[in-house]
Amino acid sequence: MTDDSGTLSIDFIAGFTIFLLAFIWVLSMIPGLLVNLQGYTIDYDAVAYRTGVILVEDPGWPASPPWESQQNFSVTRFGLAITRDTPNILSQEKVDRFFSDTSVYGAFAYPDDYHQRVIFGDYPYRFNISLLDVETNELQSVGDVVPEGYGYIRRVVKIKGLSNATVDAPLYKNPDNNVTTHEFSILVNNSGLKDQKNPAYEIDPARDQIMVNITNLRSSLDDSAINITLTKINVYKVDAGILSLVRTFNTPYIDGNSSTTQPPVEVKENVSLKFSPAFFDILNAGNSPVYINLSFNLNSPSRFLNNTWTSPFSYDYNPAHVTQPRLRDAMVEVAVW
Amino acid sequence: MARLNDDAQWIVLMGFLVSFSFFFLALVINQSTVVGQTTAESVIEFPKNDIRDVRSVIHQSLNVASPVFNDVESDIKIISMNRKSSVVNYSFFSAANATYIQIHYNNGVTEYNENWTIV
Amino acid sequence: MVKNDGGQLYTIEGFAAGLIMVITAYLVVNATSVYTAGDTHINDMQLEALGSDALKMMDVAPNSTNSETPLQRIITGLNPQDREEFKTLFLKYTNTSGSGPLHDIQFNASYSCRDSNDIIQNVPITNSRELTGGEHVVRATKWVIVDKGCYTAAARDRAVLVEVLLWRD
Repeated sequence: MTDDSGTLSIDFIAGFTIFLLAFIWVLSMIPGLLVNLQGYTIDYDAVAYRTGVILVEDPGWPASPPWESQQNFSVTRFGLAITRDTPNILSQEKVDRFFSDTSVYGAFAYPDDYHQRVIFGDYPYRFNISLLDVETNELQSVGDVVPEGYGYIRRVVKIKGLSNATVDAPLYKNPDNNVTTHEFSILVNNSGLKDQKNPAYEIDPARDQIMVNITNLRSSLDDSAINITLTKINVYKVDAGILSLVRTFNTPYIDGNSSTTQPPVEVKENVSLKFSPAFFDILNAGNSPVYINLSFNLNSPSRFLNNTWTSPFSYDYNPAHVTQPRLRDAMVEVAVW
Repeated sequence: MARLNDDAQWIVLMGFLVSFSFFFLALVINQSTVVGQTTAESVIEFPKNDIRDVRSVIHQSLNVASPVFNDVESDIKIISMNRKSSVVNYSFFSAANATYIQIHYNNGVTEYNENWTIV
Repeated sequence: MVKNDGGQLYTIEGFAAGLIMVITAYLVVNATSVYTAGDTHINDMQLEALGSDALKMMDVAPNSTNSETPLQRIITGLNPQDREEFKTLFLKYTNTSGSGPLHDIQFNASYSCRDSNDIIQNVPITNSRELTGGEHVVRATKWVIVDKGCYTAAARDRAVLVEVLLWRD
């Protein structure tokens, strides 16, 4: 029989429908195939790796003055390492700023600010960057909740902690008991601090906060009923051998208060001075020594915290009176999807 | 075909179309796996950690006293050659208040040279 | 409809072709998910980065007052406690996990040094599990300068290469 006219009606429609269905199904699979392949298993891991390297092995940009003490819009690249030559050693100041320390300049916005400065690339990646402090078990993070299937990298790091000094007031009493005004001076010898060549252990006031806690003020008095007033804190700089008053320091923490009080102020037990890197940046001290003088007034004469008759308290590498910066273990994890 | 017959050319045409589309699809998929391989592989192949490590051990070795220094230098060169299959060579000289170091590293794939000054 | 049974074979052919296409598409889709050879390299990359980081962090003293890093102390002493400390430290660094996935990482550590005849000796340090040969391992290395010769404790600085083989369980 040569008549095959029957193919054109129902059979053709059935066959063509099956073909079309299969074809449409395959077409709809194509984007899924490509996303699966290029997407998370390959590209996401590479982006996570790159982000990890930038964070852990790079000090970021601008480098000097460092990005963590600049306005948000001036920061072009995040990087948490203290210097280029010390990979995996992170700066506390950079870590704090990165995880949105809003105290000075406002938070970085997720995801745009972070995407431009550390993730890079045209594709709008989502991500989660977290830092686990192994000692305190504290987890800081920025980003979204991690879904199934993401690119991942983990880096073992150390965080360079901050140094601080505690001054036990009775140890620095003057011998003369007939005085009402007392001075206590702290010396930050910038050129001496440069002696530590390893940046991992260096005390660098222009990069890391330094802190001086003066405690037990009352026990250094002859009579504990005397009122103590912190009248002013002057900052002096030695430039070309000349000691000159540069500015006053107006933000001491008095008696464990969580906010600062501008002197003159009455003090009961202790005074805490936190000098931020920005403070030393503005001083622009370079290698010249900086003296910080605290002036106290008593309402009746007594012996008190005073080192004008001997030498200033030196903020240096002597572990006996300055708690040195210590490196503690931490873990940086980057997830990208 | 069911019979020697030149009908049903549509089906044959579509058959060609589908087979070609599969062919190109396979090509694209093939490419994408190659990309993935090279991204991760090149990370492994590039001896960033080795170079950093050699650099830091050379830096440390400068603090070693002089007769032993040559031993440490040979240690670095010979063990690098044997265990890491890489040529490491370095020399240095100290001027008034700085030390100049020249480092050469070559593992057959990556070659790295650096002139480095320590103040 | 015209009563005509001449097109039946064509109908069967059409179904067969449709079926073949569906099966082909299914095979292609299935095959590609196994096809990602890049995966193993990504694992290697992550493991190598982690191993190098761990060794690097073991070679950092926590404080400027420490004259030796933990890794230097372990290699110099190399008594049973030191070996145990190496294992504890290394596993602490590799297996601690914050928000990310848990890893079950095993390792085998040794160090290479040069003896008086310029022969490279390999001294085992410790391992978390014996290497059977079936594992897919990556290697991480770290240079250390220690007060120790090869085998005999000659009290002079020598450079040794600490090598760790890591794998996932």
